[in-house]
Amino acid sequence: MHGFHGAYWRFDLGRGEGERIPIPPEVLRRTLGGVGLGSWLLHRESPPGVEPLAAEAPIVSAFSPLVGTGLTTSAKFAVVAKSPLTGGVCDALASSHFAIEGKALGVDAIVLVGACREPSELVDGRLRPTASWGRTAEETADALRAFGRVAAIGRAGERCVRFANLSAEGRHAGRGGLGAVMGAKRLKAIAVRGGHPTSVADPSRVARLAAALRERSGGEATAKYRELGTVGNLLSFDRLGLLPTRNFRQSQFEGAEGLAAESWRSSRSHGRSSCASCTIGCEHRFGWKGSAPTRIEYESLFALGPLLGIGDPDVVLGAARRCDELGLDTISAGATLAFAMECGEKGLLEGAPRFDEPDALLGWLDDIADRRGLGDRLAEGSRRLARSVGRGALGFAPQVKGLELPGYEPRAVQSLALGFAVGTRGADHNRSGAYEIDLSPEVDRLRGDARSAWGAVETEDRAAILDSMVLCKFVRSAIEDFYPDCAELLAAVTGFEYDAAELREVAERIVNLRKAFNVREGWQPSDDTLPRRFLDEALPSGPVAGARLPKDRLERMILHYNRARGWTDDGYPREPRLLTCFEGLGIDGIGAGAMAAGAAAGGRVAP
Amino acid sequence: MRRVAIVLCGGLSSRMGRPKAWLPWFGRTMVEHVVQRLRGAAEEIVVVTSRELDLPPLEARVIRDREPERGPLAGLRDGLAAAEGDFAFVTATDAPFLSASHVSSLLDRAAPVAPRAAGHVQVLSAVYPTTAWKEADALLERGRGRPLELLERLGFDAIDWEPGAEPAPWEGFNTPSEYLSLARRTRADAVAMVEVLGRSALDLAETRFRVPIGTLGEVLGRLERRLPMRLLADGGLSKSHLVCLGGRELVRDLSLPVGPGERISVLDALSGG
Repeated sequence: MHGFHGAYWRFDLGRGEGERIPIPPEVLRRTLGGVGLGSWLLHRESPPGVEPLAAEAPIVSAFSPLVGTGLTTSAKFAVVAKSPLTGGVCDALASSHFAIEGKALGVDAIVLVGACREPSELVDGRLRPTASWGRTAEETADALRAFGRVAAIGRAGERCVRFANLSAEGRHAGRGGLGAVMGAKRLKAIAVRGGHPTSVADPSRVARLAAALRERSGGEATAKYRELGTVGNLLSFDRLGLLPTRNFRQSQFEGAEGLAAESWRSSRSHGRSSCASCTIGCEHRFGWKGSAPTRIEYESLFALGPLLGIGDPDVVLGAARRCDELGLDTISAGATLAFAMECGEKGLLEGAPRFDEPDALLGWLDDIADRRGLGDRLAEGSRRLARSVGRGALGFAPQVKGLELPGYEPRAVQSLALGFAVGTRGADHNRSGAYEIDLSPEVDRLRGDARSAWGAVETEDRAAILDSMVLCKFVRSAIEDFYPDCAELLAAVTGFEYDAAELREVAERIVNLRKAFNVREGWQPSDDTLPRRFLDEALPSGPVAGARLPKDRLERMILHYNRARGWTDDGYPREPRLLTCFEGLGIDGIGAGAMAAGAAAGGRVAP
Repeated sequence: MRRVAIVLCGGLSSRMGRPKAWLPWFGRTMVEHVVQRLRGAAEEIVVVTSRELDLPPLEARVIRDREPERGPLAGLRDGLAAAEGDFAFVTATDAPFLSASHVSSLLDRAAPVAPRAAGHVQVLSAVYPTTAWKEADALLERGRGRPLELLERLGFDAIDWEPGAEPAPWEGFNTPSEYLSLARRTRADAVAMVEVLGRSALDLAETRFRVPIGTLGEVLGRLERRLPMRLLADGGLSKSHLVCLGGRELVRDLSLPVGPGERISVLDALSGG
């Protein structure tokens, strides 16, 4: 077998024992790797209805056929688990040498089940008590450097903050609380090193394709990321009226210019670096208050800045750094704080943080990570906090299915608003790239319609492929003809003769795997929506003032989306199509059986 | 007598390529400009827009045209039915030279009345009794859609208008060139404001520019001469860039008009992330 090792390593943390379990070649061909393979393993390993933070809940690190081939941006792995924030499927990607060394163990995935008796680390295939409990992920990795490449959690993960992340070499599997899943298992870190290289079916073809992709990845298509990074979005989004500000009450921030990376480049120390195996180099670091330059992305910048009414770049850069040290997802941390701030303004939450108070921010982040005082309630995320606050607070909690919204005002990018509403992971700009059509002249971004549904399906499918093969999304615009070119890459590596049509089926399968998991775990059609704020209130100011997303418009878009997916009008996959789609995956355990469990849990599947 | 003004802005603006209501007019959008001009002449302002066209926050009551596909009479009917007054002055949204004195002088007559210029009755710069919505509805029921027919049924007075040096209060526009021509007539040195953002801004000492109004192609062509980069290529906008007009409309069509006070953002061809 080429590209794959044909097995996963299943380690029971309670028993302290692992075993190598074969994966049928047909499953690998049909799920690729990354989030696809991870979703399949989640179906297989996750008991229906399991609590995400229970010992029995599995957490999967899935590699892919391209990992270890040297293809640009391929050193990524997907972490997949049932999310403690959403109760649905969560998959998050991180780029690092952990992916390369993990796969070099001779497996395509690592599945951890059970829980350690005491805070531990998994090193060289053995559990041992950890001396790093309480340390940052970076410090932990330093301590374990002699044992290979490390993925670890910070303090927030140890305390099961529901939006804690998992880190590897400063990159994070950030969203959905995967760090809390690992923390609940009392596992601080896993260090991996192996001696099993990835074999490829056609080395000369792979070398030719890799060289071509490498060359294109250094061209115009990725220049934005290379020269400015994602932080360049902030000022542009401000000018387009889609920069979420003060808990999504405004879509322009009066302090945006002070946070604009365009001016930071001349006013601050600046450095640039790349993830493992990457030729783009999108990682931009900026100095602050005399400290070493800190990596920051747009999502952290918006969530810890305008969303909280903070325009001091030193504070935002410091807060981003603090979140990295604590192991907090910056988007959920910022959005939950912003929500609490509005609750405080409305007199709904005593002792709440306040907008426009930069000096208090680091203290609040510490309180969340340590679950201290009100921080304990904030550590539950905005949806749970809203439910405990009551009195209509859920209507302005910035989340979908429990996952906090990223930095796009949904009323100003309505195709993406649809992507947020139907996303299996919750409000998510990485699994739905529908902003691509919003930020083009092809559609009216303020008036979502059937084309939005087409855009949501298309970008979701492409993301499913990229996140499974795995390649970085920033290289997507350097791929000339998406499905044929991806098929050729995969065929050259694996020897499976993929073509564009098969890859489209793979995309559909992966989307269906995630949806089927959510249905199994109790998804209902009413979960596919946005908070009432976005449906009831027009944007009050800025260039798109007056923009509305009425509920009936969103519902029409969801209907178009469900039909484009071949699901029922209310969004349930149809059983006959699922049976075809899941053929060869062990359907009894994944399809019919799982869906029946969902029906028993209150969900249902269309006949 | 309670005086009402009604602004109709549910049209398709198809020849303009952009919604007329949102076109800039020296610091305001066109609909804001017209509403502001009406404020001195009417106690109540009703703006009738289509189901799909959102408007900026206005000091006016905004209602939705129930049958936008049926033309101005349907919008007029809906505006009259919603009005809480006796007589209503009705105008289109593309009326940059509208004046409160013109509106007041017509509303003072407290009767159906319309100016007539060169033999043409200006049905969208006229006064209608608010009760006329029933008559308008009946006309629409019979498949008739012309406001002039409504005025005739109401026995309106036509006031002959003598053209002067100033543009007529109802003078409007349907095409980019008509709109730009009116703007230049108002101020010959009218300019738009262009801001360059994203990675293109990294090479610039100054990122904001004042450029004479024109079509988007003309504006970008003039700007390009002042920049160390190409904005136009192969007869269109360069693939590396995207343009946003007014912070609202993402466009590539170089024939679109860029009006007075327009804010243009030149962006990286965005891909989010």
